[in-house]
Amino acid sequence: MSVNYDPELINKVFEVTEPVEINAEEIERYCAALGETNPIYTDAAAAKKGPYGGLVAPPSFAVTMRNGRNFFQSVPRFGRGGFDAGKDVEFVAPIRAGDRVTLSSHVKEIYEKTGRSGTMVFVVIRSTLKNQNDEVLAHIDHRFMNR
Amino acid sequence: MSTILDLHSHSEASEDSRAPVEAYLNWIKLRQAERPLDGIVLTEHRQFNRDADYRNLEDKFGTMVLRASEVETTYGHMLVFGVNDEMVARFDFADVRLDAQTLIDEVARMGGIVVPCHPGRPNIGLYEHYQSRPPLENVVAVEALNGGSRKGEDERSAELIAKHGFAATGGSDSHLVSLIGLCATKFSADIKTIDDLVRELKTGNYEPVDFRPRRKTVPHAVAMVTR
Repeated sequence: MSVNYDPELINKVFEVTEPVEINAEEIERYCAALGETNPIYTDAAAAKKGPYGGLVAPPSFAVTMRNGRNFFQSVPRFGRGGFDAGKDVEFVAPIRAGDRVTLSSHVKEIYEKTGRSGTMVFVVIRSTLKNQNDEVLAHIDHRFMNR
Repeated sequence: MSTILDLHSHSEASEDSRAPVEAYLNWIKLRQAERPLDGIVLTEHRQFNRDADYRNLEDKFGTMVLRASEVETTYGHMLVFGVNDEMVARFDFADVRLDAQTLIDEVARMGGIVVPCHPGRPNIGLYEHYQSRPPLENVVAVEALNGGSRKGEDERSAELIAKHGFAATGGSDSHLVSLIGLCATKFSADIKTIDDLVRELKTGNYEPVDFRPRRKTVPHAVAMVTR
């Protein structure tokens, strides 16, 4: 397997989603699934008196966004197949109920490594989440393994 | 005076580790009775973390932090100790197909030493490559004990060491905080710097030490054996 690729791929935005509206019910379901009971995520009245002045989503909610509500359509691929090899998330600002979130994604890095099972190529896609006010909410690095 | 060092570990500077160096040192402090380490060597994957400065953490925890690299070669993964500017300029550490013999010889010429790690591991260990290709020259030591070894891997390493007469080291290959120091290397000499470490690795005066907890015997299994 070769890791030849066009270097112009790096840092080039290849997908921008339509805005995804986040509602309070969705945050509530997410919290219920995780067993999250902190009132700043689950109780609108209590959250209003909290540090964010209203209901916000738990930080890890950002990961549910994937690429908007869909999977990426044009991630560079190498070899015959692969899998999702994990995510790193940098939380910048809370996602609030009522936010309309847009994701912009670019190829951050492509690299090779070798392991017990052979040679692998990793593609790291960085998605930046912004709200309707163009505020950055989070950066998500999606790591995909190919072989 | 002897020195016990974990010669193989990865901090969050490696892309597949999430372990902060401070957390490693704190864990060592908490587990000193079980894993009596004097220090660790950070061997980040395919890079040399030249600008990292851990002196404040060393002072805070009283544990030495040295820096090396784990690179990928035509004969598997290898630890490079004593990395300097000349080596970084000579080799692309990100290249996963570095020529092993050239690396060993050139690093030695530039004042360092290369130690093949987890040699018993499939695909990326020396043992498997030695089955089909000529042995490398000028290998002084290999990693005999690796904290990430699966069943049979350390045994294959031991077989290789016995056959070729290599000196033997140990390292945890830790990518997680709680795994630091599970395997290490005990030197008969006092080691305070990376130069001390390189000098001692070349002598062969050391042995791997295993701090991995033994699994408790299952009573039913004992009953089966004694029948």
